[in-house]
Amino acid sequence: MASTSRGDVLALPRVTCRNHPDAILVEDYRAGDMICPECGLVVGDRVIDVGSEWRTFSNEKALKDPSRVGDAQNPLLNGGDLTTMISKGTGAASFDEFGNSKYQNRRTMSSSDRAMLNAFKEISTMADRINLPRNIIDRTNNLFKQVYEQKSLKGRANDAIASACLYIACRQEGVPRTFKEICAVSRISKKEIGRCFKLILKALETSVDLITTGDFMSRFCSNLGLPKQVQMAATFIARKAVELDLVPGRSPISVAAAAIYMASQASAEKKTQKEIGDIAGVADVTIRQSYRLIYPRAAELFPPDFKFDTPVDKLPQL
Amino acid sequence: MDESALERYFDDSIAGDSSFLLGEELGPESLDPAHSQQDSALQAVKAGSGAELGDELDLSFLPDDLGPQEEPDRHDDTAGGPAEALNVSGDSGVFTDFISQDSTAANSQQGGALLTHSTSPFCPMTPMTPMTPMTPVMERSGIIPQLQNIVSTVNLSCPLDLKFIALQARNAEYNPKRFAAVIMRIREPRTTALIFSSGKMVCTGAKSEEQSRLAARKYARVVQKLGFPAHFLEFKIQNMVASCDICFPIRLEGLVLKHQQFCSYEPELFPGLIYRMVKPRIVLLIFVSGKVVLTGNKL
Repeated sequence: MASTSRGDVLALPRVTCRNHPDAILVEDYRAGDMICPECGLVVGDRVIDVGSEWRTFSNEKALKDPSRVGDAQNPLLNGGDLTTMISKGTGAASFDEFGNSKYQNRRTMSSSDRAMLNAFKEISTMADRINLPRNIIDRTNNLFKQVYEQKSLKGRANDAIASACLYIACRQEGVPRTFKEICAVSRISKKEIGRCFKLILKALETSVDLITTGDFMSRFCSNLGLPKQVQMAATFIARKAVELDLVPGRSPISVAAAAIYMASQASAEKKTQKEIGDIAGVADVTIRQSYRLIYPRAAELFPPDFKFDTPVDKLPQL
Repeated sequence: MDESALERYFDDSIAGDSSFLLGEELGPESLDPAHSQQDSALQAVKAGSGAELGDELDLSFLPDDLGPQEEPDRHDDTAGGPAEALNVSGDSGVFTDFISQDSTAANSQQGGALLTHSTSPFCPMTPMTPMTPMTPVMERSGIIPQLQNIVSTVNLSCPLDLKFIALQARNAEYNPKRFAAVIMRIREPRTTALIFSSGKMVCTGAKSEEQSRLAARKYARVVQKLGFPAHFLEFKIQNMVASCDICFPIRLEGLVLKHQQFCSYEPELFPGLIYRMVKPRIVLLIFVSGKVVLTGNKL
């Protein structure tokens, strides 16, 4: 039975009737043909039906959905794996006389993809440890695929490249993670991740935005359990400090940590330098150094509507 | 004899690659001859290219284009300061700026560039577009980088017995399990040499090209005195490291915004900005304090 099919739009660029190039071909899936409605010419034949093999009528969601043939394809990332795998058999027939299974191993899938799949798994594990959302994981996977196909970083450990891709993806999505945070969930050293990061930027010819103090405030403050007021005050302090150039050459993380310290010390929730240092991944002497730089002008760094639990002149001076 | 040889050597390098930075890199002793040489080189190229500006701001010897966006910088060349000069000259490379204007300017070759830059007050009818707008050759910023280290290699072209050398020579250390070369040091130009069994030698630590050559010769002499038929072939300077201070603080974030393709600034990884200049292929480490380290110069 002929029927119009959703495949029309796809058919148009590929094949048209000789005599009626404008005619929209009609797909007859029963015979697997594409027929021109004007003259009846069979234009394409042996069209593969991509519909499901059987219909299911059960209402509840069964554990296995029998209308799916195989796993959800990951076409963007795997280059279409259309391989067949033979799983271990069930039943008596699959064992030969010695008790070994007749068909030993499933055929390994394409080995080139295997490294990539491993890396994706690793990326997923790493991202899961720091609760990264799906979009970052997807971006990381895409970056890894680009780098992998380019082969310019072929000698480097895949884990290192994966970690660096994760770092770049977080940056590109506007929620940068510090190198130390990525280090914490990866087995690669910060040095190696840094190296791979620079190499990948060069290989993909992209660049990333510079990190700012504000990018880390919400994460650090929530990890410390500081209320929103303190977080906002710390953000303001850090931004003001950078604007007034009180902390030239200091890493934004250190400035952010010092700002959090100042804000928390001025509020009811006082945190020690050590606690902040643990969360931010900065040494407490570093916080001390940056704090010393912003302390002299503490009064103008606070936001105007801040409620001081400890007044500015009573702030600890280290 | 040395002086004129030096001068000839500098002349050759200037003639090959005329860029105003060369004057600074060559060091104090060559300042005047290099300066005058550069002028004549400029004149020659000016005449050759047919671009006539008459101003000292004619940078027609620089082949590539940059956009008119750079030209306002040119006007405040004194205000911009030498740092900008150092940095912007890097734009004269293969990469054009990321501003769309520049790409169009770069596409139109020298003849067509007239249109894009005809509005510039400085060069109303220059056929070739000068694109590095910054401080022209004439304005000396007065900042001369000091050479800190020169790495050179030379081929002694005879196989060497490292054990023998290590035992006989003074100030030599040889630990084959750690590294496969003899590490020899001399005091006069205070240098260190790595001498390999193939006869190749690396000499590091000298503060000038001549000193490096002299030190390498001294090492070769030492090896010769130990009985090996050493020659002095293919002396080549592989790397020169220099540092300078531009005496004012630098906003690295601003620099990275403007020159994104060349800069790499990761405060988490390294506190300095790494600027990879294209035209003289040099890497500069630029720090907030105003100190700049230049390296990668292969001569």
